[in-house]
Amino acid sequence: MSDLFEMVGVKPELAEQQVPEKENRWYDTIPWLSVIILILIVGGCLFCNRIMTKDPSYMDLKNYTIAPCKEFLFGTDTMGRDIFSMIWYGGRQSLFIGIAATVISTGIAIIFGTVSGMAPEWLDMLLMRATEILLSIPNLLTVIFLQAILGKANVFSLSFVIGITSWMSIAKIIRTEVRQLRNNEYVIAARCMGGGFFYILYKHLAPNFLSSIMFMVVMNIRSAIVEESTLSFIGIGLPLEVISWGSMLSLSEKALLTGAWWIILIPGVFLVVTLLCITSIGDCIRKKLNKQESNL
Amino acid sequence: MENNSLLDVQHLSHMFHLKRKMTVKAIDDVSFQIKKGEIYGLVGESGSGKSTVARCIMNIYKPSEGEIFYKGIPICKNKEFRKNRKMLQMTRQMIFQDSASSLNPRMKIEDIVAEPLRIYSGKGRPGKKEIEKQLELVGLDRSYMEKYPCELSGGQRQRVAIARALSTKPELIVADEPIASLDVSIQAQMVNLFRKLQKEQGFSFLFIAHDLSMVEFLCDRTGVMYHGKLVEEGRTKDIFAHPEHEYTKALLAAVPIPDPRIERQKGEVL
Amino acid sequence: MLYYGKKLVIFMISVGLLSLVTFYVSRLAPGDPLFSYYGERVEKMSPEEREWAEEKLGLNDKISVQYSRWINQVFHGNFGRSYKYKMDVLDVLKSRLGNTLLLGGTGFLIIFAGALLLGVICAWKEGGWLDKIICKAGTIISCVPEFWLALVLILVFSVSLRWLPSSGAYAVGQEKNISDRILHMILPLTVIVTEHLWYYGYMVRNKMLDEIRADYVLLAKAKGIKKSRIMLVHCMRNIMPSYLSIMAISVTHIMGGTYVAETVFSYPGIGTLAYESARYKDYNLLMIISLMSGIIIIACNMAAQILNERIDPRMRISRQSEMQEVDNYE
Repeated sequence: MSDLFEMVGVKPELAEQQVPEKENRWYDTIPWLSVIILILIVGGCLFCNRIMTKDPSYMDLKNYTIAPCKEFLFGTDTMGRDIFSMIWYGGRQSLFIGIAATVISTGIAIIFGTVSGMAPEWLDMLLMRATEILLSIPNLLTVIFLQAILGKANVFSLSFVIGITSWMSIAKIIRTEVRQLRNNEYVIAARCMGGGFFYILYKHLAPNFLSSIMFMVVMNIRSAIVEESTLSFIGIGLPLEVISWGSMLSLSEKALLTGAWWIILIPGVFLVVTLLCITSIGDCIRKKLNKQESNL
Repeated sequence: MENNSLLDVQHLSHMFHLKRKMTVKAIDDVSFQIKKGEIYGLVGESGSGKSTVARCIMNIYKPSEGEIFYKGIPICKNKEFRKNRKMLQMTRQMIFQDSASSLNPRMKIEDIVAEPLRIYSGKGRPGKKEIEKQLELVGLDRSYMEKYPCELSGGQRQRVAIARALSTKPELIVADEPIASLDVSIQAQMVNLFRKLQKEQGFSFLFIAHDLSMVEFLCDRTGVMYHGKLVEEGRTKDIFAHPEHEYTKALLAAVPIPDPRIERQKGEVL
Repeated sequence: MLYYGKKLVIFMISVGLLSLVTFYVSRLAPGDPLFSYYGERVEKMSPEEREWAEEKLGLNDKISVQYSRWINQVFHGNFGRSYKYKMDVLDVLKSRLGNTLLLGGTGFLIIFAGALLLGVICAWKEGGWLDKIICKAGTIISCVPEFWLALVLILVFSVSLRWLPSSGAYAVGQEKNISDRILHMILPLTVIVTEHLWYYGYMVRNKMLDEIRADYVLLAKAKGIKKSRIMLVHCMRNIMPSYLSIMAISVTHIMGGTYVAETVFSYPGIGTLAYESARYKDYNLLMIISLMSGIIIIACNMAAQILNERIDPRMRISRQSEMQEVDNYE
């Protein structure tokens, strides 16, 4: 019986020629270099007390604008502060704003997207139109405007402002997902059983749409960090006394005059490397997601 | 109103708005009653409005006209519904056609079965014993508790859906084509299961199907729907013995009879 | 005709709402508008003088009264005077608008053409080394914050090499000198273009790849049509409508990017003006700038919508079928 089958089936010698596909283990797809660098940077910022060689906010008026040397590893800025210490200390603020703003915007996006997705047709239309209009306003303009209203910025107000201006694109994705999910009978069943809005959101909707917004959420951290630094640089974000990567760069105009490249380059390189690591992790998440979908 | 009727549907109509000026009447002036402890079958071709009736009864749709009385409460009135919400949600349960989409793929079986009780009590998950008992009732052993819906077959999933519906000791179960997506052999199992459970628990049962042979076997009374209207209603035996409406006759003629000789004769008649 | 009429009405309403919101919000924000008019002198003013000054600028009325007065003036073509520059806001705007249009417009055109070019090249050589290099470079550049790129460019090209000027739109007294203007535009333009180019280029690449996978391409190939013709004529025609509508929306984003570049390079454009006016509570100036930006944003959105709905026949059909799907469910 088996002989017969083999005669009409695939010839064994042909089958052997097929190269077995290299099996990708889960850790092969992770961009290890980015993860390690990111862990180093985040760890350095978290435990900055151990690393810092100087007090980051102490202004050493004798040693201002000193190029990197043995005592000041990354040099000092125009106000005589030690850049090496400031990098780690300021990184805390930048990373915190990135994460806090993302938490805020994701929270808003989840609520808004779910409401819009579950809402009747006309309300959904209205909410989505509003989102599109908000989406088309350059982010920076709204932030400047809000910041002007809130007055002097601190870490929390800046996270808040960045958070409430960057939830729109995530909300749109969630809304599309919810529109599909809500047709599933388990959502209808849960409603029949008397599950409230938040119960259904938490139990049935969120677990099913979280994977599709993960990429956007990671990218949101990135854009929040960029926005913080841009705002601080322009002078409407964090003031000079509050050390962050952005506010360190706001000294660069003076640095340009004196040609002090380290004041501009060193915080910027840290910023860019962090952003690159976050991006490659985000890309990895997206690739995984696409794979899952194509397998289905 | 009769005292022993649990559900009383009166002149129910429902319209769907397609575009600005186009509306479709999905159900048109449908009335019937379900008594306590009765199995009522609703048959008709797809698109005849059976599911819409079921969804109106479960308050998923709000009917355009007519009224539904459950235990004498007009449940389509928002005020009355809100007043009795908890009781209504607990004593009515629904079983859906597609077991794949009626169970959340990311929840374990034990969580799915526990869900109604959890919502009802507002507390955490009920005891494992309770869930085990529910699963046993529908013929699943405890090894299924830790599994996810995608690991189960269609029949097993439908059993889970039944266990979920039964967990609150409901008085009315609405089953929207619960066997339509299953194999024929499993269908028979399910119908037997329904019958057994109904005898044990004594709930009223609205059974929606397009398969007449199962309805004949299971239901005490039957209504036939055609283009949104209830064209015939009565005891199942009477309907199957003496169909009055043309559509019922046609439906009955389409039922395969497990006897080749009669089946062949029937072919010649039509 | 009715369609465009409807759009026009929506447009007018949006602009009206926008002006109302900006007016109220800017009035409620903290800050002293007198400061921008009188500068340091404000602090030495007596209460009576203050009152008189506020009276003169019409600031002590209710906000609603101020708004209706403003609207009334606008319909007479009078947008008021800038507190800071002490001249008609239109004149202030006029002196700056040209610069921004020149910078943003050129940037937009380069991005528009460049993204298309890059996207098509990448799709053409999909998976090849050129594609890989461009994709990697694009990802890295997209991680560089705009202002930092600008700083580095200034550091390299004007501070170290002294090739290019680092600020302004033209050297003093060289207003009419075209080559001098171009020289001043190179750095800001580089920043604007590099920041946005890959975002749209990647979009074109993915859309192109989707098209190449479609069955009609296989048919065309089977017919023996050349690859270049399939891609540039057949596929291009299909991606053009969505690309155009994306680019219509992108106008506002590139505008936002222009503002940052203007600030870093102290380029006298609308961006720096907007920032100044918000900071110094120069209300009349702020109103006209936000109104103008708003009109551009709304107009671009509408253009994108119209492009989406009217030009691409596929969109019309898919919209219809989408509606039908919804109906079927309900």
